[in-house]
Amino acid sequence: MKTSKTLIITSVIALLVVASICYYALMQFAEEKYSIVLKDSSLEIVDFAIEDKEELINDVPSNPLKNPYFGDLHVHTRYSFDAYVFGVNATPYDAYRYAKGEMIKHPLGYEMQLREPLDFYAVTDHGIYMGMIQEYGDPNSPQADYEWAEPFQNINREENRTLESMGERLNLFSLMAADGYLERPYPVWHPKMWQAIFTKNRQLASKAFDYGVHKSAWADIAKAAEENNEPGKFTTFIGYEFTAGTEVEGGNLHRNVIFESSKAPIRPWSREDSLNPMDLWAWMDKLRAKGLDSIAIPHNSNGSNGEMFEVETYYGTPIDLTYSETRMRNEPIVEITQVKGTSDTHPLLSPDDDWADFEIMDGRVGARPPTYSYPAGGYVRDAYLRGLMLDWKGQGNPYKFGLIGSTDTHLGAGSFDESNFWSKVGVVDGSPMSRGSIPLTDVRLEQLREYSEQYNQPVSAVEVDGNSYAIGFDQWGSSGLAAVWAEENTRESIFSALRRKEAFATTGPRVAVRFFAGFDLTSIDINAESLVEEAYDKGVPMGADLFADGEKVPEFLVWAQKDKHSASLQRIQIIKGSITNSGARPSEKVFDVVCSDGLEVDPTTHRCPDNGARVNIEDCSITNNVGATELKATWRDPDFNPKDKAFYYVRVLENPTCRWSTWDALKAGIKPRSDLHKTIQERAWSSPIWYIPVPEDIDIFAL
Amino acid sequence: MSLKPYVRIILFFLFGFIIYLADITMNYDEESKDIYISDQELDGLFAAWNSQVGRPPNEQEALNIVNEFIEEEILYREALRLGLDQNDRIIKRRLAQKISFLKQETDREEPSSKKLTDFFGKNRDKYYVPATFSFTHYYFSKSSEAKIKAKAGLSEIVELGAPSNSEPFFLGKNFSEYSLGEIEQAFGAEFLAAFKNPNLNKWIGPFSSSYGEHLLFINNKSLGYSPEFSEIEDLVKQDYMLQEQDRKLSDYLDSVKAEYRVIINPTYEF
Repeated sequence: MKTSKTLIITSVIALLVVASICYYALMQFAEEKYSIVLKDSSLEIVDFAIEDKEELINDVPSNPLKNPYFGDLHVHTRYSFDAYVFGVNATPYDAYRYAKGEMIKHPLGYEMQLREPLDFYAVTDHGIYMGMIQEYGDPNSPQADYEWAEPFQNINREENRTLESMGERLNLFSLMAADGYLERPYPVWHPKMWQAIFTKNRQLASKAFDYGVHKSAWADIAKAAEENNEPGKFTTFIGYEFTAGTEVEGGNLHRNVIFESSKAPIRPWSREDSLNPMDLWAWMDKLRAKGLDSIAIPHNSNGSNGEMFEVETYYGTPIDLTYSETRMRNEPIVEITQVKGTSDTHPLLSPDDDWADFEIMDGRVGARPPTYSYPAGGYVRDAYLRGLMLDWKGQGNPYKFGLIGSTDTHLGAGSFDESNFWSKVGVVDGSPMSRGSIPLTDVRLEQLREYSEQYNQPVSAVEVDGNSYAIGFDQWGSSGLAAVWAEENTRESIFSALRRKEAFATTGPRVAVRFFAGFDLTSIDINAESLVEEAYDKGVPMGADLFADGEKVPEFLVWAQKDKHSASLQRIQIIKGSITNSGARPSEKVFDVVCSDGLEVDPTTHRCPDNGARVNIEDCSITNNVGATELKATWRDPDFNPKDKAFYYVRVLENPTCRWSTWDALKAGIKPRSDLHKTIQERAWSSPIWYIPVPEDIDIFAL
Repeated sequence: MSLKPYVRIILFFLFGFIIYLADITMNYDEESKDIYISDQELDGLFAAWNSQVGRPPNEQEALNIVNEFIEEEILYREALRLGLDQNDRIIKRRLAQKISFLKQETDREEPSSKKLTDFFGKNRDKYYVPATFSFTHYYFSKSSEAKIKAKAGLSEIVELGAPSNSEPFFLGKNFSEYSLGEIEQAFGAEFLAAFKNPNLNKWIGPFSSSYGEHLLFINNKSLGYSPEFSEIEDLVKQDYMLQEQDRKLSDYLDSVKAEYRVIINPTYEF
């Protein structure tokens, strides 16, 4: 008996010891090693800088009064799922070569080259399934045998880079755009599934996804940026497109994420991680806390069905101060113009603005069948007014952003010139007939009918003037450029210009504009050499706040210079938007501020007289010796109320020139379509300056 | 034991006949009238259907798919048998693409430094670092009197130290280390005339730009130079690789082109 008692006691003690050791080990594991089991792969930061490159850096001349730099922050290459499907073979390296002035080829075989190199450029491929589609397309890749890869096999073979492949390509695009096609989840017990959960990387759970391919595509994009970055001469940014949207109604919430330096996360955080931009900002905030700053640039608000600049959050809850601050911290800049239309304002939103009907793209982005996008909430002027109203209600202003343009080209090469337009999605819109500027031949019309029927789509052709034209790309255009005022052409300088919104947008020409506000700017001699210095001294530049100084009326200085290769300037306008302090009633007004050819602004209508510039549609020639090489003026707001919140931004208008569709028709020797604008007025927009009234003693609570 | 010669010959033909028989039995596929459909092929067919329709096919549909596949295969083989694949441009192009794809993608080995230096030697001009100028200027905006104003300005500089009528220039006053390309970008092509053998450290002009008239003071000119290979090795390598890719295909074409003779009717009229 005694022995068995001892045995029991010993074994109980032994068990207890083992249990406590196990417990201790488990706690150790939980506390210290926890991070190994559960980590967020999207927060791992990698420095993509190329070693030994430092020695190439020259002394960069710096201009405290700032230089205008022109670039494009929205460029896709073959790494984007859709670009690849649209026949694009250009790599990020090709894209940077193009930006530096070299020639690269369009998928349909013709040459694309800039007249003058750009100052900065960022390749921003779609984050989702980055790099995977070309893997599917390559018959020698390990992915090639899977059934989901099959439709992509060899799609970009030479003989398939034809207009006839358009139907197949658009169908593939729809296939991918429809959620779920590439989600081929592993079974729950599969290690990949667990890896996906423990590294917060949803894509890993899909059989159609190869993380190695994905990471190396992203690293290659970063490497291309690093290799091509030449401080002082040419700036590149590492970036990608976060291609998300609302789950219902296909509201486009696309953004480009641009990183400040050679550092970037190990993988782009994509729509697979979340559809909600608020989650994107949370991720960017976390990266920022780790020392990596980035900005997100929304684009194509025009095709968002009013969802881009909503007055509520993604969840439908009210916007609050935290939301506004978070949004502004992460999104100081919006892309106002690109190939898929211009998002300044819409004729329905600004019926009194004679220039509102400009390159309106009224469809939702990527929607098939084509679907109308409601304008309210989709245009920047409307957003600025909504921002003032939200701010007035004490919710903060989430829409206090600056402006740039960019192209969104999917060819690696932006198309900026109306007379030499190649649109942006390769095989699908690379010829005049496919983008609807010249009539469809009977054969092509038949093909269009066939594939529309095959894929259950309405026929995307329209009958005009007795001819059939393709529709879908006719509302696109050759636009636009991102421009900044920076001390020097370096990443640091350009990125901080974007951060402080000292940026402007153009529709393609390199029209440059300066804009200042203050309370004593009319005292400056605009013909003095010290003009800019004084303006910085006495006022604030574009993108800034102008705080009320008692009841003083704000004064503005505008100065614009034409693009030497484009038409002369016609006028500079200041667009004012404000809300009444008594009831947040919005109003907007367009003031002509200075006219070309010595003409005077009519003080009652605030309009310049006609300067007589005309376009000859027969040959696209324009009136000579009319218009200005530069325009500058100071201006006082004539109907100013010191208590009303307001914003002011500049619009510079060129003399009219032919639209790309007119050029296409002219080159084909036929009449341009009667239902499209034959001419356009190229333009530039500054970022706004916000007038901030003296705070009221009372707080407004929305009831 | 040695066999008699005729036995050897008979054996030789016998073995030959056996090999021939084996060959035609084992490589009979081309002529076969059998159609084998593997499980993988069936899976692939149904998956493709699924991806277009959004659900897997039911039994009847599956039968139809397989029947279609079989008919397609039969038609394809009959077409081959009749030689319909010959002289078809679509088929030709598809095959041509397949081979050019293969030739372009073959090995991506690291180039030797000898190859790189040779490439660098041949393309030295491309890597030339251009001459730069540092200058300041007075600007007179475009108008009919701009030239007169600028001329008056030049004499005012001599008398008063600065012209009284000059205006601020949009892109600023002082330009440091601008290459001719950058000058052209900022001022327009016509302005380059001012930089052909200019007098340094002296006010000169007026010169016309795209924006008006300018008086110039060029205080520094740095000569252009060709950088050493070691300074720009990475850049050279990148360019070399790009060129190689394009070359592989054309090399391959050239190598086989010689074996072909092209005959075109010399009297053909276009």
